Amino acid sequence: MSLPSVDVCIVGSGAGGAPLALELGRAGFKVVVLEKGRHYQPKDFVHDEILNSRRNFFMPLPWEEPHLVRQGAKGRYERSNAAWTANCVGGGTVHMSGFFYRLKPVDFRLRSTLGAVPGSTVADWPISYEELAPFYDKAEAELGVSGQAVPHPFAEPRSGPYPLPPLDVHPVASEIDKACAGMGWHALPTARGIISKAYKGRSPCAYCALCGSYGCETGAKSSTLASLIPNAIATGNVEVRPGCMARSIEVDRQGRAKSVVYLDKDGVAQEQPAKVIIASATAVESARLLLNSTSSRFPNGLANGNGLVGKNLLFSSFGGSRAHFRVSKQKAARPWLTDPAPFVNRSLQDFYVMPDARHGFRKGGTLGFMWAHPNPIYAAVGLAGSGKSGVFGKELKDRMRAYRDSRILEFEVYAEFLPTPGTSVTVESGVKDKYGIPVAAITLDRHPADFAATRFLVERGEEVLLRLDPDSVERVGTQGETTILQHGTCRFGDDPAASVLDKHCRAHEVPNLYVVDGSFMPTGGSVPSTLTIAANSFRVAAHLVRTLKG
Amino acid sequence: MARARSLPPKLSRRTFIQRLTFFGGGVVLLGGAACKRSKEAEAPKPAEPTGTTAAGQTLRTFSAFEYAVVAAATERLLPRDEDPGAQDADVALYIDHILETQGLESMHRDFLQGLSALERRAQRMFQKGFAQATPAQQDELLAIFKDSPAGSGEAHFFELLMTLSLEGFLGDPSYGGNKGRVGWRLMGFDTVGTLAMAPPEGYDGPRCLRECGGHHP
Repeated sequence: MSLPSVDVCIVGSGAGGAPLALELGRAGFKVVVLEKGRHYQPKDFVHDEILNSRRNFFMPLPWEEPHLVRQGAKGRYERSNAAWTANCVGGGTVHMSGFFYRLKPVDFRLRSTLGAVPGSTVADWPISYEELAPFYDKAEAELGVSGQAVPHPFAEPRSGPYPLPPLDVHPVASEIDKACAGMGWHALPTARGIISKAYKGRSPCAYCALCGSYGCETGAKSSTLASLIPNAIATGNVEVRPGCMARSIEVDRQGRAKSVVYLDKDGVAQEQPAKVIIASATAVESARLLLNSTSSRFPNGLANGNGLVGKNLLFSSFGGSRAHFRVSKQKAARPWLTDPAPFVNRSLQDFYVMPDARHGFRKGGTLGFMWAHPNPIYAAVGLAGSGKSGVFGKELKDRMRAYRDSRILEFEVYAEFLPTPGTSVTVESGVKDKYGIPVAAITLDRHPADFAATRFLVERGEEVLLRLDPDSVERVGTQGETTILQHGTCRFGDDPAASVLDKHCRAHEVPNLYVVDGSFMPTGGSVPSTLTIAANSFRVAAHLVRTLKG
Repeated sequence: MARARSLPPKLSRRTFIQRLTFFGGGVVLLGGAACKRSKEAEAPKPAEPTGTTAAGQTLRTFSAFEYAVVAAATERLLPRDEDPGAQDADVALYIDHILETQGLESMHRDFLQGLSALERRAQRMFQKGFAQATPAQQDELLAIFKDSPAGSGEAHFFELLMTLSLEGFLGDPSYGGNKGRVGWRLMGFDTVGTLAMAPPEGYDGPRCLRECGGHHP
């Protein structure tokens, strides 16, 4: 049973799907957005850690909708909810911290910059920074970004200032500035997708302490839910359907995409025909949707004639450390320690690209400084530990009291995650989610240069922390990956044999199919990619509006 | 000490307690990683109360006997000393209530199985129930569960017990634990401006957990 046809059907409403919905709606096209999650209202965003962070408010339960994750092709798959971003209207932008960095020109030509990297499938982008820059401007203006551009060895060119002035920061930011300057480095204000002043009918940030991982009840966080979606709906041309899980994209005899089959909020299968179909469900889930969309024309998955859908999966290399300041000991000398201001907003990008490979890598990345998240259950689970090193009883309570007397400053590393032939996503036909759809199966096969880069960056960050003279510095790790930042799987390029999408994010093999989330990125860059995904979506939207208008 | 009876194999799963690296935040979900949903729908839970606590509070999951074991065990994880402990915060009552949440059926089952294993082990080791054992004996037994090999039923139960205890100690009081916000006070959740951001008086977390996001425009 088929619903009335529309111009465009978009699967997903986050940083990839929402800009397209807005621009296509503005241009007069009829758009349906299918979103598997719920449509939350600001009143749903309460600072209840159990509801928000420990159940299925944002993330599906791993026994209902698992991702399978393994280390290497010989590893054993574990069921996990890693590499989900969020299931709700607005996607991951709803609970993001909103670190809104741009990529740098070098990120668009990493293969040319590094040369061939053995063990990596690194590739240049088919577009330049200069081609994307106007859409960075557009995304920053539409979403609302607060920041301050400062001169810097790796500063990317900008056409003008940020739409909003920077957010107020904690006094520790100037301590970090001094520490970095003492080493000849450049602490930068971190731009945030949070509005510092009233903007386009939205209220400014209230500086609550529970920001990242929570939805924003004032709408100051520049999620697509708060910024783009309401404007898209207001065009009268865009319908957002929550609770709708896309199962497959169907094709006609000519091999053109014709409809999206989905399960609606009552679990009933529906078919939404459209002239153009856009997958914007995250790099992992868009690849899964294509791979599950098999037909006689595309037996290995839609647009997957060359077998590249799901290949070149990228996350962001993660590392970090924490500095503990005992308040009772240090308060007299540093009265600012007890200042409740939530934002640090300092970044270090002096090691974005290294001049040579003497440290085992050339493409480095970014350090972002922040206060440790104040979620108390999360903190206490960490204090209790697990297994033989875990503690309970008096030892646990002593640790909790020490925590109460501490302020914890940390940094996170966003380092290059080089594409490898082994890191990929497939679908596992034997494991189905609660909808009966085969789940995504992720294999991680990391490039050693990633770990060298991450370790180097963590060591530099620790030098900064130690200059602040804390009571202790504790390393969180140097070999992780931030799976909420995901890219690759449908890389774009000019060569149809070596890429899934063309430079407009249109499938080489299916002329009316687009994939517009992080999937298109041949390299992930060394910053959080949310703003880049949104900017690219505005870029594709401009192309699509031109194309559809003929 | 020889183990006369180990936990059934279906408990031998890696507990799923994972940090997803959110920026600046920790989002943790909890449950059994390898849990397979049983083919048949879970039998609906009895709506009637299962018992009452000594203080007269209505129980939903545990019998009065089971509740006493949970209360004793959680008090060893978070004992009262110069600061309030698990019983002061009604941690066991939180666990009793939260295990009734829809979607946590497998955790409910695992918890009750682990609890009876704990009780059996106490009888075998001390010739008395867990709740009647001395605090030192209780600690000894809990440490055995904690230190059991990863993936064992004992380790899984300890992780469930610890994690749910910390939720009950430090979660929103509307779930039945963290009575008088004693957990938040111990962790200093009220010292950095955070307590002001906690849900307002009258907030009903369990209801939101049941109904969250039911608001389709």
